Amino acid sequence: MPSVAELIAALPEPAEEPEAREQGPLPELLAAWSLRPVPVGWFRRLRMLGTLQAKIGAAYLFHWLRGWFNDADENKRLLAETHWRTAVRVLDSMSYLRGATMKVGQTLANFPDIVPREFVETLEQLHFSAPPMHWSLLKEMVHNELGDDPENLFASFDKRAFAAASLGQVHRARLKTGEDVAVKIQYPGIARTIREDFRTLLLFLLPARLGRDWENTKEQFEDLRLRLERETDYEQEAAMLEKVRPLFREDDGIVVPRVFREHSTARVMTMERLEGVHLEAFLATGPSQELRNAFARKMLRAWYRMMFTGRLLNGDMHPGNFLFMDDGRLGVIDFGFMLQLDDTLWELFRKMDRPLTTGRRDERVAVLKEWSWMGDDPADHDRLRLSEEFADWQWQARYCGGEFDFGDEADFRRGIDLFLEMVRKRYSRSRPCTPVIARQLFGWRSMLYRLGAKVDVAPIAEEEVLSTGWDRSEYTDGKGRLGT
Amino acid sequence: MRVSAETKNATRKRILEVARKQFAQRGFEATTTRDIARAAEIAAGTLFNYFPTKEAIVEYLVGDACARATEAFAAAAEGASPAGAPSTSLPADATRQGAEPTSLEEELFAHVAAILRKLKPYRKYLPAVLETAFSPVAIGPSDRQPSLRADHLETVSRIISKHGHYEALSPVALQLYWTLYTGVLAFWANDPSPRQEDTLALVDESLAMFVVWLTGAANRFETAPKRKEG
Repeated sequence: MPSVAELIAALPEPAEEPEAREQGPLPELLAAWSLRPVPVGWFRRLRMLGTLQAKIGAAYLFHWLRGWFNDADENKRLLAETHWRTAVRVLDSMSYLRGATMKVGQTLANFPDIVPREFVETLEQLHFSAPPMHWSLLKEMVHNELGDDPENLFASFDKRAFAAASLGQVHRARLKTGEDVAVKIQYPGIARTIREDFRTLLLFLLPARLGRDWENTKEQFEDLRLRLERETDYEQEAAMLEKVRPLFREDDGIVVPRVFREHSTARVMTMERLEGVHLEAFLATGPSQELRNAFARKMLRAWYRMMFTGRLLNGDMHPGNFLFMDDGRLGVIDFGFMLQLDDTLWELFRKMDRPLTTGRRDERVAVLKEWSWMGDDPADHDRLRLSEEFADWQWQARYCGGEFDFGDEADFRRGIDLFLEMVRKRYSRSRPCTPVIARQLFGWRSMLYRLGAKVDVAPIAEEEVLSTGWDRSEYTDGKGRLGT
Repeated sequence: MRVSAETKNATRKRILEVARKQFAQRGFEATTTRDIARAAEIAAGTLFNYFPTKEAIVEYLVGDACARATEAFAAAAEGASPAGAPSTSLPADATRQGAEPTSLEEELFAHVAAILRKLKPYRKYLPAVLETAFSPVAIGPSDRQPSLRADHLETVSRIISKHGHYEALSPVALQLYWTLYTGVLAFWANDPSPRQEDTLALVDESLAMFVVWLTGAANRFETAPKRKEG
């Protein structure tokens, strides 16, 4: 088993990362973007493996931090490095922190702008990091949380977990009132441990305020901390489910499960069970182009609905959170990390609507300048050029109108290449919500790519944007952009 | 006047009942033997005929809870299928969906969990008896009752034997188990986590560690070079 020091030594230098990732074949890149695979074959004790995974997580964390102070002078750099090495050693030496180290490593894996492909692939395994619970432990957890044994609370309860959840597992059950439910149960104490450890970790990291990127690093950490908080608290997730569920009507063909509050706490969440399969299994059935398009349209509608009606961004957009149901409905099942758009962001989204609709370059440039605080400084020219090109790649499906082929490999690769170039030049960082947006963007684009979907985006967007109540009369006629 | 065995039993029961309530209401430290005697409507001297110290009362209460837990555990295990098959009182359709066979680790966990449930009312004042009743050299409070340790380890030995690791049951193995178990109890008594969830994780981890060690120890016996005869 390699030591942390050996792992750190084995890590690629920061400058090598983008090249290493660029050379990867597309399927591997996709695996990296798709973030969390459908849980299969994970049901085993991770105790022995855990230590190694924790070390990789810790080594990665260290490596990631080191990348942020390349510009600092040598003395400061060494001092910071000592601090951080201590932090990593502390993490490594305390076995009970394993959950935290693994989770931190796992969350880092979800930042597409900082994670080299090889590590994403390694860290993918960490998604199911909480030790599996056997029936007796699970029973005690349910008894502790809900006040009685599962046998007494439910009409039936499947002893075997059918999926992994954030730091726990999911079981099929039936309520005494007859509803089929999925019960998510968290490993005891793990959420609190992680939150406390994260605070400890920050104590070690805070003295090292180095380099021009420190503020940005801090924001990324804040995003990470928030994400951990939300992902580990089922009560917050239940509240989010209840917020999102009413956004969809029956005729949308999009369904969000209902939460059964009387059977839910911060550690146990009982929700309606939707029967369906995840993306991989759906594709394995060889679905027709029309069926794939229909599901893609629903994914887009779900995304727009949450954004335009709910003012919410889904920071956890990956195949594990969508269910392809037999009756053609799309199930959206996980809301571990949602970002609520505040008034400032909402206003920027409103301004963005115009170039998104018209496709005009000058309007696109104006809104990008505001988004990334760029002026007319010649130093910003290259950044603006690249940002504009990347935004154009993102937005063309909407403003071009007509059927857009999301399965076009060359186009998808162009988006990744542009993004990687921005990462390499450190242009990808601006507002704190940027990592969420990047995760979301590549999350849904990669799902649509894998579906090989051909969809006309504009009519869906036009329908959904109406709920914002924005005055769009200058550039649309209510059905699409003016002059088309 | 001779006190009948029946009266003695009734008095003993009353003392225990009263003590349990007083400990719960006022805490172990704040309750005196005088308080207990007064509430039980007996003379302080009479109380000492039954229990020489306050700790002895706790020992008895804890011992009784442990014995009831062991009975409940044995009854549940008897009602369930033998090892290797699902054990649950859930409806047939739920069990058919297939539980993992009950492992040694899980069964040991279920035993400890059953005890923790019964001991819950006494959690706060367990430290008062950890070094006495739970000591490896403790003897039972009476001829009728074996020591807590002997009683507990008998069940543990039965579980381990049932799972085919009889040969690993050395005194060292049992002492190691007992150390972990009393460590868990000490942790639990002062566990500040919500609903003592950290104790559950500790029991899980401790037993997993013990089973890995125990089964490894068993292998060690199997793979040890045989001494040449003659």
